[in-house]
Amino acid sequence: MSKGKIKEQEILKTIRAEENWEPVGPTPMPEISDLRRWDRRLLKTYKPFYAPFCDLCCFCTFGKCDLTGDKKGACGINISGQQGRWALIFSLMGCSAHGAHGRHLVDYLIEKYGEDYKIDLGGQVAVEAPHIRTVIGLKPETLGDLRKAIEYVERGIINGVSATHMGQEGNDIDFESKSLHIGMLDHVAMEVADIAQTIGFKFPTSVADTPLVPLGWGAVDKSKPVVTCVGHNAAVATVMIDHLMKNGIYDQVEVTGICCTAHDNARYSDKTKIIGPLSKQLFFLRTGIADLVITDEQCVRCDIPELAKAAGSALIATSDKISYGLDDVTHKEVDEIIRLIVEEKKQVLIRDVDKAGEVAAKVLPLVAKGRTKEILTKEKAQELANKCTACGMCDRVCPNLLKISAATSGVRDGKFENMSDLFAKCIGCGKCEQECPKSIPIITLMQAAASWDTYNVRVGRGPIHDVEIRKVGAPIVLGTIPGIIAIVGCSNFPEEIEEVVEIAEEFAKRKYIVVLSGCAAMAAGYKKDAEGKTIYEKFKPEFDAGGVLNVGSCVANAHITGAAMKVANIFAKLPLRANYEVIADYILNRVGAVGLAWGAYSQKAFSIGTGCNRLGIPVVLGPHSAKYRRLYLSRKEEDDWTVMDGRKKELINTEEPSPEHLSTVVESKERAIITLAKLCIRKNDTPQGRQLKLNHYISLYKQYMGTLPDDLQNFVRNDKDIPIVYKKEVTEYLKSVGWKPKPLLTLPTLIGTYESNIPIEAVVK
Amino acid sequence: MSLPLHYVNVLTGLKGCRVIEDPQALGKVMKKAERPLLVFGPRCIDIDLGGKLAIEYGVEIAKTMGAATCATAHTKKKLLELGVTPDSTYDAVEIINHLKDPNWVGVKKQGNHDLVMFLGMRTDFGNQGLSTLKHYAPHLKTITLCPYVYPHATFSLANLKVEKWKEYLENLIQSLK
Ligand code: SF4
Ligand code: SF4
Ligand code: SF4
Repeated sequence: MSKGKIKEQEILKTIRAEENWEPVGPTPMPEISDLRRWDRRLLKTYKPFYAPFCDLCCFCTFGKCDLTGDKKGACGINISGQQGRWALIFSLMGCSAHGAHGRHLVDYLIEKYGEDYKIDLGGQVAVEAPHIRTVIGLKPETLGDLRKAIEYVERGIINGVSATHMGQEGNDIDFESKSLHIGMLDHVAMEVADIAQTIGFKFPTSVADTPLVPLGWGAVDKSKPVVTCVGHNAAVATVMIDHLMKNGIYDQVEVTGICCTAHDNARYSDKTKIIGPLSKQLFFLRTGIADLVITDEQCVRCDIPELAKAAGSALIATSDKISYGLDDVTHKEVDEIIRLIVEEKKQVLIRDVDKAGEVAAKVLPLVAKGRTKEILTKEKAQELANKCTACGMCDRVCPNLLKISAATSGVRDGKFENMSDLFAKCIGCGKCEQECPKSIPIITLMQAAASWDTYNVRVGRGPIHDVEIRKVGAPIVLGTIPGIIAIVGCSNFPEEIEEVVEIAEEFAKRKYIVVLSGCAAMAAGYKKDAEGKTIYEKFKPEFDAGGVLNVGSCVANAHITGAAMKVANIFAKLPLRANYEVIADYILNRVGAVGLAWGAYSQKAFSIGTGCNRLGIPVVLGPHSAKYRRLYLSRKEEDDWTVMDGRKKELINTEEPSPEHLSTVVESKERAIITLAKLCIRKNDTPQGRQLKLNHYISLYKQYMGTLPDDLQNFVRNDKDIPIVYKKEVTEYLKSVGWKPKPLLTLPTLIGTYESNIPIEAVVK
Repeated sequence: MSLPLHYVNVLTGLKGCRVIEDPQALGKVMKKAERPLLVFGPRCIDIDLGGKLAIEYGVEIAKTMGAATCATAHTKKKLLELGVTPDSTYDAVEIINHLKDPNWVGVKKQGNHDLVMFLGMRTDFGNQGLSTLKHYAPHLKTITLCPYVYPHATFSLANLKVEKWKEYLENLIQSLK
């Protein structure tokens, strides 16, 4: 540690260094530059690739400065530095959203239960918090310990933000290192938030086979009073559900949710319903099916007050992060607030969780009284569309480049197929409508073309169980389970929402482990097979070959990366405690896990992805994510792929670009599938494991590209790696490209390939 | 929009594409290239220009001017069906990453390209890739062959209706002969 004595003592005290569950590793509570050498090593192979979204910088009053090409700003920053700065800013925004979420939950629960309230994730989860253990070096036992973890994240955020100030950091690689650091902290923050809510709201844990809950707007019984919670923080909803039960009316109402609050509501009570991801927020709120809308935090539209008013829904905002300019009635008596909502039709802000929950439960039946909720009929839709001139103004503003005019003019002419297709691809922004010179309510028209079927999602299960890790650890590391495909993130999908299901199913059928979370987990439920089954009914819910699991909301993503860490710990027996570099190196070289964020749009998704990258997990992104403006790409076989053979302590040029990229964007579903299969390849694969991985890579490549992969020579180390079914043609192909066997090694590691305090022995167990 | 005298007042940037309305003029630029490359994006597989797919126009352009080809996304399959073996297969961001390096060997290992044409990418995604090249690859010129203005390209077509686009591509091919 390059820290002063006092600070060192402080850290050792915070992490209770005297507890000997594991020796304290080299980096307890790392500061923003403590893992800089690891980052620089990663970034040497996976260099930042920038696609500037803006040529200018307008951060300070010296600007605007044009940074095109080799021009510098008045402060001296160049275009790469500026892109790195954006990357850091995005990571900070994402990490702060989860951090503040975690802080809110922890503070609320400490008020309720006290700071000594125990962390207990059930009999199946002994390694309760791999991120907190690995990054901080603390084995958290209580809510008070979670508060320590969040305080650590908060300190990191201040430092990170300060570096973005004009006249501070200017080097792109250092910005990226800081961004990676903040991404790492984001996973700590998410872990805190999910553990806090799991113990505080008594979500089921240590259960794989969680119930299925109804999914879709069609699942809602609109004859009952309907409340819709929008956002990511289920605290208010849990209190509301308790009150609804206490008042004896829970079965007479519909508790629904959009986005991650819906996932967490379902973990609290499987009688709740999930409407869908963010992309269906505007569509659903416009229907007016919700009698009461409750907003909390993150991914909530900024115009909900307006939408709720137009649809006749009452609105309670509950977070100090989204106050909408509403009157803060937190200090008023419950009955008075109810009167304001019911009689004065006021939209209110209630910042007290318990009070907001109580008001919501009491006000729901009252605001629902006398409301009729009519879904737009085809006839009425045709009437509303009759002024469409097919002018195409709507097409020009669509961020998903959709052909809206064909759909609206179709409806005008009584044809709804194009509108149904449009709805399947629409990301729900509402920009088309705002542009229409004829004021055609395009989003409303979608009601007449949407499917009103009911689907389902498996309730989020939280952490992966230690016993599951014990079972799959060896096959994952040896490669005989071909990979873990984590399908996560938001709903800014480039094409039909169903693509997510198709990708998930392709890998589940091939016995990869498919893990989902957040909006992607909802999207995966939106398709039924011929027998009417969704993907959650077709595949087992275990973390095992061929399993399809939903871990839960966005903050549950920490359990996916946590599972990779647990493989290093439970299977490979590497200590987690303050041992980040060793664990990340292990995952990069030996755990074939890849993330797919097909519809990533938020800064949270960016920071989650960046945190995955620091931990050695590659991420594939959909085409919209080119607008994040930063990727981490290798130059494939042209780069230097030398690693250390940990056993022989020799540097070996493996000539193998695996994993090929750390963060990449692909344009089509087909390519995404191929890329995911390829990015599961790890240097540690046994011949048997490599054969299996190549078998899938080849078969998928053939299916979608029509030939053998033209980079196959990069991933065949010797004859034993060649899949038997393709032996003849692969051998011929390799001969034609002049392939030669590559050096073999037994324990690949980057430790020893760069200056580091970590001895090579630390990776050999 | 005109540029302000003092660049500090500029709206969104100073360097943008030149829209070339005349296919002959574009043809002239293309003919000057020594090592041109045509990059196929997935959208040109499905666009039918009156019995001929957009990708087929791309193939014809590449053949006529002797340009190397790169299949991105899943376009390789369609090219093979059309009897064309692309010179390289990359994701769009991968080929762009290579093109940034002036010393790269190029897809035919004869040196980096001096002109890169794009056909069939999503406009938003394509424009991002072109931004990378605008900033980091001053050694090459970029041309977009889709019927949309791509602000980050060196040369772009105008926003064209399908019939006009077809006509443009046909005239362009003629001018390349
Ligand atoms: S921060 Fe630097 S580049 Fe940005 S406006 Fe100020 S001087 Fe210009
Ligand atoms: S902008 Fe309005 S009138 Fe024009 S095509 Fe779209 S829906 Fe029709
Ligand atoms: S609401 Fe849907 S169709 Fe309309 S502009 Fe947005 S994404 Fe396009």
